Amino acid sequence: MRVEVEDLRFSRGPFTLRGSGTFNAGVHLVSGPVGSGKSTLALLLAGLLRPGGGAIRRDGVSSALLLLQFPEHHVTSPTVAEEVRSWGLAPDDVLARANLSARANDDPFHLSRGELKRLTLACTFMRNPDLLMLDEPFSSLDCTAKRKVCRMIEERDAGITIIFSHERAVLPRVDALWEIEAGTLTPLGHVPDAIPRWRHAPPYLRYALDRGARPENIRLTDAREALCRTRG
Amino acid sequence: MIRITGLSHRILDIPDLALDARHIAVIGPNGSGKTTLLSVCSGIEEPDEGTVRLLGRPPSAVKVGWVGEFPDRTLLFSRAYDEIASTPRFRHRPCRETDERVRAAAERVGIPHLLERTVTALSGGEKALVALAAACVDDPDVLVLDEADSHLDAGTAERLRAVVEASTAAHVLWCTQSMDTAAGADYLLFMEGGAVRHHGTPEEVFARLEETCFYPTLWRVRQ
Repeated sequence: MRVEVEDLRFSRGPFTLRGSGTFNAGVHLVSGPVGSGKSTLALLLAGLLRPGGGAIRRDGVSSALLLLQFPEHHVTSPTVAEEVRSWGLAPDDVLARANLSARANDDPFHLSRGELKRLTLACTFMRNPDLLMLDEPFSSLDCTAKRKVCRMIEERDAGITIIFSHERAVLPRVDALWEIEAGTLTPLGHVPDAIPRWRHAPPYLRYALDRGARPENIRLTDAREALCRTRG
Repeated sequence: MIRITGLSHRILDIPDLALDARHIAVIGPNGSGKTTLLSVCSGIEEPDEGTVRLLGRPPSAVKVGWVGEFPDRTLLFSRAYDEIASTPRFRHRPCRETDERVRAAAERVGIPHLLERTVTALSGGEKALVALAAACVDDPDVLVLDEADSHLDAGTAERLRAVVEASTAAHVLWCTQSMDTAAGADYLLFMEGGAVRHHGTPEEVFARLEETCFYPTLWRVRQ
């Protein structure tokens, strides 16, 4: 199972997105500044935008799902339970998982932003698509909820998971790193070799790297363990 | 000075709180009442009971600049220029002064190139920067940021911090889920279940939270 991006070109106004690379099974983290093209790439990979040039080829991918950055853009139903049904899922399971069982009959727009994000995340993971794209899955969440999302990502034992994020504190274990800057997508390669090349590394990881530590992965615990090894 | 007395509003229960610090970070879990507190302090909501005084006045009598987490919900105009110009226009500032203020605010926030753009065509982070420029354009007395850094990358979040630092506001109330950002504040409020559970300097408050994930990652690796 893989998604191949070949000489991709997509333009909108003065902005052009371009890049090549292969997303194999596993967890990929794509980072880059605001307006660099992360969400546009997500829409292209999801097939919601058509490339102006080049190709995006899916191999062995039978289902794909994109979780949008702003959870309210997913809402189509007047109650939380119906919203879950609109994803083709049974409300009881999903609401228990999202810790929202008491809110089944409420208007989705009456949920707090964190609650709505939890709801759309739970729906997305329950659908368990081959290709899962998560656009800023950590925004709006507190650190406890972010940790839960990391667990859900790490527990997905098959498929391709692509995370578009600039989260800088709570990150999951990943397999590969990518960067987008000014519309250019660059594969940095596999973890841990790619970590020292990662310009958007979060401050704790940068701190560890600057002290000669070589973290095995990108989480805070990886940085701390690596520092312990160098400090002896 | 921000003074809260006998406040009871929705989930909030804050008997007495006086804040002298300029840069105040508000942290805590989702649903702990952070946004409600910011709404009441900005005059967006009237408290059911109790009073809030900013600089000795009710919030409605104070110039408050607000940057929300979901700029889509607060952006009123289709062109970025008009969105940023809205406050000076609503305050009947002369056209020339409005134009100067809009361009100066855009310059400070680093978005002069976005002024003529349609807001809906901007990225999530760019919208947050437009909302920041709109909040700062008329020199607010109090600047309120409700998880405005939630959709920003490191470089843009740093720009946000610098703009906030340089603003002339007497108080900055900044709700954030980044503990590394909160560690740079003068004073911290940790909220839980509608109450201010801990307050004090970052050192004092984070000392109480060391066993939780509400702790700066940089402090963790530096230990």
